[in-house]
Amino acid sequence: MLLHYCDLAWRNIKQTPFVSMLMIIAIGIGIGVTMTTLSVYHMMSADPIAHKSDKLHAVQLQVLDDGYTWRTEDDVPLQLTYPDAKYLLENSPLEKRVAMVKSGAAVHIDRPDSVPFIQSLRVTSRHFFELFDVPFLHGNVWSESQSEQAALVAVISEDLANTLFGKTDVLGESIYLGERLHEVVGVTKTFQPTVKFYDVNNDPFEASEQVFVPFTHIEAYKVPSWGNTNGWKSEDIDSFEDFLNSENVWLQFWVEFDSESQKRMYGQFVMDYMTEQQKLGRFNRKALDYNLKTVPQWLEYNHVVSSDNKILVGLSFMFLAVCVANILGLLLAKFMKRAPDAGVRRALGASKTQIFSQHLVEVALLGLLGSIVGVLLAQVGLAGIRGTMSGYDLIAIMDWKMLLVAPVISILACLIAGLFPAWVVCKTSPATHLKVQ
Amino acid sequence: MSEIKPILSALKRSKTGAILLVLQIAITLALVSNAMSIVFDRLEKMNQQTGYDEQSIISYLVVTYDKRIDKAKQFDEDIQKLKDLPGVIEALAVSSVPLTRSGGAWALSTDPDELKGKSVDSGYLYGNHTLIGALGLEVTEGRNFTENDVVYDRKKEYPTVAIVSRAVANALFGEGKGLNETIYSGNNAAKVIGIIDTIKSQWPKSNIADNLVLLPLQDSTAYQKFVVKTTEHQRAEVMNKIEPLLLELSRGRVVMDVKALDKSKADTYASDRLMIKMLISIVVFLGVITALGIFGLTHFNISKRTKQIGTRRALGARKSTIFKHFLLENMVVTSLGMLIGVIGALLLGRKLMGIYDVPPLENMSILLTAIAMIVMSLIAVLLPAQRAANISPSVATRSI
Amino acid sequence: MLHMQNIGKLYQTEMVQTQALREFNLTVEEGEFIAVTGPSGSGKTTFLNIAGLLEPYSSGQYTLDGIDIGKLNDNQRSDLRNQKIGFIFQGFNLIPDLDLFENIEVPLRYRGIKAKERKKRVEQCLEQVGLAGRARHLPQQLSGGQQQRVAIARALAGEPRFLLADEPTGNLDSLMARQVMTLLEELNQSGTTIVMVTHDQELARRTPRNIQIVDGQVADFTLYQGGHVAREAINKTVGA
Repeated sequence: MLLHYCDLAWRNIKQTPFVSMLMIIAIGIGIGVTMTTLSVYHMMSADPIAHKSDKLHAVQLQVLDDGYTWRTEDDVPLQLTYPDAKYLLENSPLEKRVAMVKSGAAVHIDRPDSVPFIQSLRVTSRHFFELFDVPFLHGNVWSESQSEQAALVAVISEDLANTLFGKTDVLGESIYLGERLHEVVGVTKTFQPTVKFYDVNNDPFEASEQVFVPFTHIEAYKVPSWGNTNGWKSEDIDSFEDFLNSENVWLQFWVEFDSESQKRMYGQFVMDYMTEQQKLGRFNRKALDYNLKTVPQWLEYNHVVSSDNKILVGLSFMFLAVCVANILGLLLAKFMKRAPDAGVRRALGASKTQIFSQHLVEVALLGLLGSIVGVLLAQVGLAGIRGTMSGYDLIAIMDWKMLLVAPVISILACLIAGLFPAWVVCKTSPATHLKVQ
Repeated sequence: MSEIKPILSALKRSKTGAILLVLQIAITLALVSNAMSIVFDRLEKMNQQTGYDEQSIISYLVVTYDKRIDKAKQFDEDIQKLKDLPGVIEALAVSSVPLTRSGGAWALSTDPDELKGKSVDSGYLYGNHTLIGALGLEVTEGRNFTENDVVYDRKKEYPTVAIVSRAVANALFGEGKGLNETIYSGNNAAKVIGIIDTIKSQWPKSNIADNLVLLPLQDSTAYQKFVVKTTEHQRAEVMNKIEPLLLELSRGRVVMDVKALDKSKADTYASDRLMIKMLISIVVFLGVITALGIFGLTHFNISKRTKQIGTRRALGARKSTIFKHFLLENMVVTSLGMLIGVIGALLLGRKLMGIYDVPPLENMSILLTAIAMIVMSLIAVLLPAQRAANISPSVATRSI
Repeated sequence: MLHMQNIGKLYQTEMVQTQALREFNLTVEEGEFIAVTGPSGSGKTTFLNIAGLLEPYSSGQYTLDGIDIGKLNDNQRSDLRNQKIGFIFQGFNLIPDLDLFENIEVPLRYRGIKAKERKKRVEQCLEQVGLAGRARHLPQQLSGGQQQRVAIARALAGEPRFLLADEPTGNLDSLMARQVMTLLEELNQSGTTIVMVTHDQELARRTPRNIQIVDGQVADFTLYQGGHVAREAINKTVGA
């Protein structure tokens, strides 16, 4: 029966090509606009590390003395001070934790034709790769002892290896980061989450770092931060040591919990640390506070999806509503014109339900065709966005989920538009249209 | 105009088409006026005066990794050689580049203890005494820096004088005050020797867009930014020469981000441009869709009423009467849609304002949208109304 | 009142040419009540359309109440229809979106009559057709006979001197048809010239004068003046 309805629907669409085209274009434009904004929203808000996003937690300590405020909703700074990060790293009751910061250096290799270029670095403790699921292609992360000795080692991405050496297996080769020569101990596969969730300080959609060096380099080689550094009270900082010991916040810290009890235990560990620090004159506040936020919570807290995008999504759906009203009108016109036809079918024994479903199938078919136009339009729209915004190459795209959602929304919108006209047609009595008048 | 009453009662009795049109027009008006309001707001922000001579400034970054290089000396040589290039007016090292969303900010206070005095967050920007001139700024009140004010290498001491934006002075000392007052950043005190009215910080879209303090301090760091002022027409030429020239003078460093200031500003506002583009596309498409809707429904209404129109003609209606009838009917529907739309627009505007950082809906935006929609609606109805007027009165006697 | 001389009407489509009326001659005097009959396709409706100024004619001369119709433009024809001609249609042609009052009011509005005067006229007409008190009903709430009475009321509202009725009883049962016919006769007696197109011979017999249209020409059996044309027409119908 459905096949028969589809056949009828297709014939009816072909019978009134102008009105049908008009409707397909109307729903197509509506879907095009909606899918453009929705795809960006979807990619921005997509979970970048879905399988463990509620295990990973960003750690925040309320380091501000009473009376100071921060730009977050709960006044807790987004990053940690160096002493705090170092303590949490070295005394962690859990294995899977990482302290890190973004830096940068002029990268080149010991060849006469190598022209130095600037790369951002991630200065990080060893577990970065394990926590964030960065697979190794060759070698592995530096060892515990290399870390302790602040050995001049580095892990680089396969892309960078290719750029520098023209191959990926470059273990044992050395690269200059600035003036220091680092031995490559590991090569990772390309690691590029849609959102740079582990450090959203600068641009949450910027490219991931391609060079990783041990966290201990910060002290050993006075590695500066290339990310955000924020102070909250005035301190005299005359040297790098002063800076390291200051209350400036500039480091990211993440932990992975396997269970709720681990999380509770970790919370206690953090509280104990802060209480201890209070005795030393820090954390001058009545109530100690810290945050452990999962990846989705962290992205929400950092407003990674811009309000602009949310507004656009909202407006797009209103736009779609206008398209629905539009199509409703056109369908009404089209179906009314064909009412005599339905009357004949009714007289020949078709039930109301049959007439109703026949018309709805036709409407759904229009929706399906409209979604094809819509998806094509959305591709144009998304290409336009990628052209306007650098860093949106992974954001302004339509993944397969959105590709499937497009016809669903389109058909749904058309069905909403088609309900009333189909009902009007099927409720007309068979006799009305058999008369001449 | 005595025709309105029967038009109203006719509309009352065949509602569906009219309701659909009213709905479309209402949503369109609500949506378009809010979208345009946001567009106007963004355009206004993008076109705000920054005080900088955006068209003739270049900025670049030098990352010096070779520790053997004496940076202070090297930068002096760089600047000398740069100034020899045709078209270069001024060049200096700066702590950060305005309008680029990157740089440093402090809490400035009227008291060394931030919690005791009044305080305000502000971007800071330092360079030598040529800073103000090179950026094309004008000191509104007080004086510019002199060579004697400049502190070289900040480890020794902090400068004791500062020039602040009007917004900073107003926030700390009250409207129109601030000159010769002392500002503190922690224990560092500086006297305000000048105030600039028109100036933007490094973050022109933030809540500290107008807050900037300028200090006479020349630094030479491994990650050093520079600003070059050129003549407007020779800027592109100079931009191409910077990297090769500097690398020729000394290796062991990377020269990057050579960028025109207006380009940097454009990058800062890229998301706003995107928003404007998206909103305009939505508005244009919506206009087309609504016009098609009005056209289609009027068309449908007319073909449904062919007999009636013929009868009216038989009963003595002139062509022009029929034409006017449909125009008037369309106006009635459009006006009703507008009325609901204005209410909807205000509600939507308030809702958006409540959730997001959106400016209040401008009445002007509603008015302009309404006018545009009346015109559009009239155009959309002209053709169908003309067709209606041309229906022959003889259809009245046709039996089918 | 009505004078048609050698009227011809040619319908032209891409494929075919149809001569709907040819050398059509007819004179209707003031105060007459005539019935026009004829088989379907004979040109009855074309005659009606031309007589009612609903359609232009291709050749010949037509004067209505002394006015040469051929010299009028579209607006003038509209105004003439509005002022002098009343129509009663087979399908009633009431405007479904308007109630009875508003329906009857339509021609008066086009004439630019003031609201107060309109109200008086409409009420008077509704009274005349026996539907007073139903002014605010919609056409579809009435029976066929009632609808036709409204249509008659609408035709009367403008006090036309000339009434054109197209199968006025075509969609009615015989009782209703008789009522409508009686109404028309009363109108005629009060001075209105009526031309009624019908295929109902019984109805036609009630009128003082009958005309038959055959093949686009007049065959007048009662008061016919141009004998040879009629004979020709009759000959044609009988196939001689």
